[in-house]
Amino acid sequence: MSRYLSITAVALVLGMMVVQQFRITGFRGAHGIPADRAQELTVELKQLEKERADLAAEAEDLEKKLAQAQMGYNQAAEALRTEIAKVRLLAGLEPVRGRGVVVVVVPRQGTGVFTVRDEDLLRIVNELRGAGAEALAINGQRLIATSEIRTSGAHINVNLIPIAPPYRILAIGNPEYMKNTLEIKGGVVETLREWGIDIAVFTRDDLTVPGYQGKTSFEYARTS
Amino acid sequence: MRLGISLALLGLVAGALIGLRVPLVLPAAYAKYLSVAILAALDSVFGGIRAAMEDHFDNTVFLSGFFSNAILAGTLAFIGERLGVELYTAAVVAFGVRLFQNLAIIRRHLLKK
Repeated sequence: MSRYLSITAVALVLGMMVVQQFRITGFRGAHGIPADRAQELTVELKQLEKERADLAAEAEDLEKKLAQAQMGYNQAAEALRTEIAKVRLLAGLEPVRGRGVVVVVVPRQGTGVFTVRDEDLLRIVNELRGAGAEALAINGQRLIATSEIRTSGAHINVNLIPIAPPYRILAIGNPEYMKNTLEIKGGVVETLREWGIDIAVFTRDDLTVPGYQGKTSFEYARTS
Repeated sequence: MRLGISLALLGLVAGALIGLRVPLVLPAAYAKYLSVAILAALDSVFGGIRAAMEDHFDNTVFLSGFFSNAILAGTLAFIGERLGVELYTAAVVAFGVRLFQNLAIIRRHLLKK
């Protein structure tokens, strides 16, 4: 009896071993994937995964750098915009508003001899500039660095545009100081009144001076 | 005799079923050692059958031979691998020769009857 038992036990163990061996080699072979090929692919997969991780890290790094560059670019653009706005304001290309004075100059009717000459306006403008005017305009023509005030035939030209009386000079700056400068004894206002010209100076709390409208490019001057 | 054969077949089938159901599959690296162990086990089994036919079957010798042969063959193949000597081939040749010898004797016994 024990003989049969041992035979059965041995057969059992043998069967298990054989099947196990089949499962290791035979079945896998039947599926067409040799063990070494699988190993090869595993190694390759590991390598590619590592490569992928490396590339992802690199991409992240570059992304960060790009973002930084973008930020720098934006800052630079912002700085340039501020600079341009400042320069345009200084050049008189932008309309500006603030406290200031309005000088109204009217030649007295009927006295053709005592008309307002370009020199009179120039004197007023010069006095205003001396009194610290930051923005000036005559009859809507902004005075900039190249602006002229010059008699041309029957009219006075400002920025090559003829203007006609009454002349309204707008000046932004300290109103009291400018008014006092113009109306000082023996000053320009008194002189012009003696010449038979009506002139009045009004202070304003809110004044808007238009921007320069003419051409903004130089034909001859170049940066040196 | 017939009972013995049927019991052996039954055990084989049961072992195969158990082997199929076991979720664990040994790594491919052990296939070599297991194959030698199987060869040794087969040799023992045929040796046992031959002994039974010659009427000097010993249960203890059979069982100890089966297990020790299988384990020794596997271990030898493993050690041979580590040593860089192809003991695996030696085991295959040795057990193969004995296997065929046993089969030849069994065949003769069967033919004599």
